[in-house]
Amino acid sequence: MEITLKVFRYNPEKDAKWHYETYVIEGQPTDRVLDLLEYVKGYIDGTLSFRRSCAHGVCGSDAMRINGRNRLACKALVRDVGTKITVEPLIGLKVIKDLIVDMEPFFDNYKKILPFLINETPPPADGKERYQSPEDRAIFDDTTKCILCACCTTSCPSFWANDDYVGPAAIVNAHRFIFDSRDEAANERLKVLNSMFGVYRCHTIFNCTEACPREIQVTKAIGEVKMAILRGKIK
Amino acid sequence: MENKFNFEGLAWKWMRYSAFLLIPLVWIHAIIQALIVGGHNLSLDYVAMRWAIWGWRVYDIFLLAFAFSHGMNGLRQVLMDFVKGSRPRRLLNGLIFFAWLLLTALGATAVIGGVRMP
Repeated sequence: MEITLKVFRYNPEKDAKWHYETYVIEGQPTDRVLDLLEYVKGYIDGTLSFRRSCAHGVCGSDAMRINGRNRLACKALVRDVGTKITVEPLIGLKVIKDLIVDMEPFFDNYKKILPFLINETPPPADGKERYQSPEDRAIFDDTTKCILCACCTTSCPSFWANDDYVGPAAIVNAHRFIFDSRDEAANERLKVLNSMFGVYRCHTIFNCTEACPREIQVTKAIGEVKMAILRGKIK
Repeated sequence: MENKFNFEGLAWKWMRYSAFLLIPLVWIHAIIQALIVGGHNLSLDYVAMRWAIWGWRVYDIFLLAFAFSHGMNGLRQVLMDFVKGSRPRRLLNGLIFFAWLLLTALGATAVIGGVRMP
């Protein structure tokens, strides 16, 4: 089948302004958008730039806007997005080249919520792991699925307006540790999120939930963090 | 958990509490004014009759206090998304607060003063 692929192009060394280029290529309904981009790069225009790594929906490198929606190019099939496909970089982050955006502001916000297990208590005497019940694990199970692709954060109008807002991805990852029974730094994280650019910039628009390629209930997780702040306790 | 005072947190809570109160206040108001009385019957005479009962004046003050503060706080929260820097944010907060205070005072004066028929 014939596929029309319209791709956002911008080379800061050559182009004064961004533009779109259209490629008409042959493909299959089961092809992924990433396959189409690889084809263009390999056979038509080697200067096309985009990020990709695992190509199996795990690393989160190839997040981009496909037909106006944030998706992973490696998970978007032609049969789902149609034969007329527009591919653009994520919104809210500076474009470095073509489909590559500067992820630094995203990771700066991520770092603010201390995304690592903090536990000052000495490990159990037997030297084995800190036990956690399946029920305690289930509380934050959903938010462990985040792959930091930035689909949620760059679909959020509050983040588009102001990149000081930590964004949904940072809150999801804070949730992952705040509700972890083994972690002891929930207070520190909630302090970061209980601020002007924390959870209060979330207006429950639900774009993040819709955009998440891992189907994490992002808005629900943000709501749980808001409730933890409101109640002053986690459980 | 340490839960320090935070203006944004307070404003966020206010949106929820005021919305909760607005549901009965606005519904009762809308049903009476729009459905029972009917928009075409709303006149100065009707308002004078309504405000002759102090209970309705208190009701309208509540409506004014919760509806208008809810709306202005919502506007403030949306505008805050677009303002960068702590000084411009303080300025915007101040402007919205004074606009809210002025219009609330005007509305409250009208409700308390009532209608004087010529």
